[in-house]
Amino acid sequence: MSSMSTPFAPAGSRSRLTARIAALPAADKALLKLLFGAALLALALGLAGGFVTALARAGALTFFPDDAYRILTLHGVSVFFYWLYLIQAALLLVLAAAENGRGLALRPVAWLGAALMLAGFGVSEWISATGTPLLYDGSPELAVDDPRSVGFFALGYLLLSAGLVASAVSGIATVLQPRLRGDADEFSSIGFALFAWAGFLVVSAIAATNAFLPGVLWSLGAGPFPADHGTEWHILFHNLHYLPLMATVLVWYVLTEHLTGVKSIHGARMSKIVFAAYLVFVPPTSLYHMFLEPNLSESVRVVGSLLSLFVSVPTLAAFAIIVSSLEASARARGASGLFGWMRGLPWDNPAMANMGWAAVNMMVGITFAFVLIQGELAPLLSDTFFVPGYFHFFAAGVLTQTFLAAMMVMLPAFGGGALWRPAVLTRMPALVTAGLVLFGAAGIAAGFMGVPRRVFDVSYGGVAPAAWPVLMALVGVGATVFAVAIAVTVYGVVRTLLSRRTPAFQASVVDWRAGPDGVGAAPAWTGPLSVAALVAAMYVFTIVAFQLIQSLPIIAVGGGHGH
Amino acid sequence: MKNDELWLTLTIAAVWAVLAAVYAFVPSLGMPGYVRVWGGGAVLFLLLAGLLTAIGRKARQG
Amino acid sequence: MPDSRHFTTRRGFIAGLGFGAVSLYGAWAAYGAAPLPFGGKPSATPESDSHGNHDGHGAAEAPAEPAGHGGHGASTGMAPEEFRFEHDAFVRKYAQDDGSMNPHTGGSAHGQHGATAGHAHGADGEPVDVYLMAQKFAYSPDFIRLRTGQPYRFRMMADDITHGASIQLGSGSRIIRLRPNTVTEQTITFTKPGEYLVYCTVYCGQAHDAMQGRIVVG
Repeated sequence: MSSMSTPFAPAGSRSRLTARIAALPAADKALLKLLFGAALLALALGLAGGFVTALARAGALTFFPDDAYRILTLHGVSVFFYWLYLIQAALLLVLAAAENGRGLALRPVAWLGAALMLAGFGVSEWISATGTPLLYDGSPELAVDDPRSVGFFALGYLLLSAGLVASAVSGIATVLQPRLRGDADEFSSIGFALFAWAGFLVVSAIAATNAFLPGVLWSLGAGPFPADHGTEWHILFHNLHYLPLMATVLVWYVLTEHLTGVKSIHGARMSKIVFAAYLVFVPPTSLYHMFLEPNLSESVRVVGSLLSLFVSVPTLAAFAIIVSSLEASARARGASGLFGWMRGLPWDNPAMANMGWAAVNMMVGITFAFVLIQGELAPLLSDTFFVPGYFHFFAAGVLTQTFLAAMMVMLPAFGGGALWRPAVLTRMPALVTAGLVLFGAAGIAAGFMGVPRRVFDVSYGGVAPAAWPVLMALVGVGATVFAVAIAVTVYGVVRTLLSRRTPAFQASVVDWRAGPDGVGAAPAWTGPLSVAALVAAMYVFTIVAFQLIQSLPIIAVGGGHGH
Repeated sequence: MKNDELWLTLTIAAVWAVLAAVYAFVPSLGMPGYVRVWGGGAVLFLLLAGLLTAIGRKARQG
Repeated sequence: MPDSRHFTTRRGFIAGLGFGAVSLYGAWAAYGAAPLPFGGKPSATPESDSHGNHDGHGAAEAPAEPAGHGGHGASTGMAPEEFRFEHDAFVRKYAQDDGSMNPHTGGSAHGQHGATAGHAHGADGEPVDVYLMAQKFAYSPDFIRLRTGQPYRFRMMADDITHGASIQLGSGSRIIRLRPNTVTEQTITFTKPGEYLVYCTVYCGQAHDAMQGRIVVG
């Protein structure tokens, strides 16, 4: 039983983060509100598209095929590109401005970035709704007779990329301001993370340009048909995975300090190394997306698998830093119990609830991601519903919940408004996770059985296994649960953004900052036990996958994979 | 350890440059896009490292 | 000042936790899916196919791959036009009255078509060639009759855009991705009789859902 002292911050007091956000110039606040609002709109559109898609796959709704794939395209484009990039731009700028303490540098460039991204948003949504359905990867081969669709689709992403570059330039200039003023001679760990993240956003824009500029040129008659789009897409796609994960970990750092006062007990240097590790480990680990490609050699496949084992290093290290810092700080204040110390966290703050459940979702997501990175299992799982089955734990459970948590803390500070119904928002993350568990369990099982990921009618005229439609129905039920819960949260965050009401109370936080004696000699087992459980789960599901693939009534050799 | 961020930025640039070089000099890998993206990234982080150095010098000069 | 911290709160331990997931290598190595240290190679190499090393697969043995890794890439040495020629010949030669293709009828499939093709019938245990073309929104052929325990050298190609030619096998599937004008080769042995769905697992357009075929193994 925990007996710790967890003093609550005085009502009405502001953390350093929220105080600095509140003090931002009005022009910065207007820009940031615009970006947060646009990001929420993208999330709402993507959520609606995904929900309808899940219902259609479950057999509850029927569409003409082109309409169904347009909805799927809108889902992917809205969520994976515009929600995740707009929110990253918004978070980069607001955190950089808060770090600077005096607002944004190169503000016109930041506004230009926002304008370009919003223009891209408009173009992409319009062509996705009206053009040939290209799904979110915009493969030109799907519309060889419709260059207009290919061109406008690619143009939308290029505008987004240009906007990202402008936003990143403003973000980098902003975090460098204290040093230019002579107020600091080095970055804080958050400052360095913002600096590296902004650079990575620019590289992501380079990857997007590399993938989509040929499509624009071809549509204008100024270039050859982009036959290599599939390969170029994979480079961007990999960035698309890990950039928001880096942003998530950064937000966890920021929120942990805001909610508990705790900073890393391992020093800023180690945090900087971990953030830099994202940029070091992510690029060489991208090959696992390509294991089914017929042109990939066996040696590249083996090396790609081995390198992919390292893809979780920065995320797990950051998780361990945060959890050990929290636990050690709690124990230094008298907390006891193997996991009992966690009861002292401010769980009635919706940001805390979102962040906590996001960590749970991350562990589940990593477990199944590591089943997929084995090249020998690609012929069982790639291109099946296993992929959306596991990545929604990341996309919805980790990224979306974390970024919504950040908004719950930041948006009231912008205009002094009140957080909408904290008691309701606090309950949503558990509901999101419950829906995701049903969605993921059914989806991953469907993937193991071979259900393809982008098919609306999985019955194949009655030839497919009878379990397939049943599993898709369960996926639809799970999707309904988590989509409704996220929709409630989005509604609450939008109400918060628009709120003019003076808050009656501040969402609770605690003060766990270690005293002069430091964190003491108490152990912190939560982190290592979590990682041990993760590894055990990885072993179990990897073994299940190997056993399944070996039990199939087929012996196969060659053709891009070893089985 | 004031130079942490500089050597970390240079490490990122170096890793990406090596990656770009591997894809450039082993054409059988068949992925020239990696050369453009990670090569461009290496140049960018080299520039950022230069920026950090310049700002550090300026700060020292007062 | 001596460090009084417990080892679980020290930097080195935390950094080590970051590498925790790398330990999954052990599972991979146990299944022969990762090279062993010091240049060793697990017994269940891709060349010999790990399926063949487990119980319950019947009498079928994975055929040897004379070219080592040659069978793992798409570069079978066959040009797209050559594939189309061989495919057309295959379809003409082995068409049955019920609409199926049966490579065990009609004599040698490839004796008259040059050196690129393998042997038909497989009486000596050598793989029998099967050609499969994927195109919007059908397979050619879309109905193939094969035999249990007989290795087949599937040569497959997408004719227009990227498709899948995945085979549903009951509790799981074998997922196959085909790129346009790239000939993919896999040597496949079915170890149980049955009727197996062939279906597209790469979105290819509005009738993607309807793209299917079947393989009947007797």
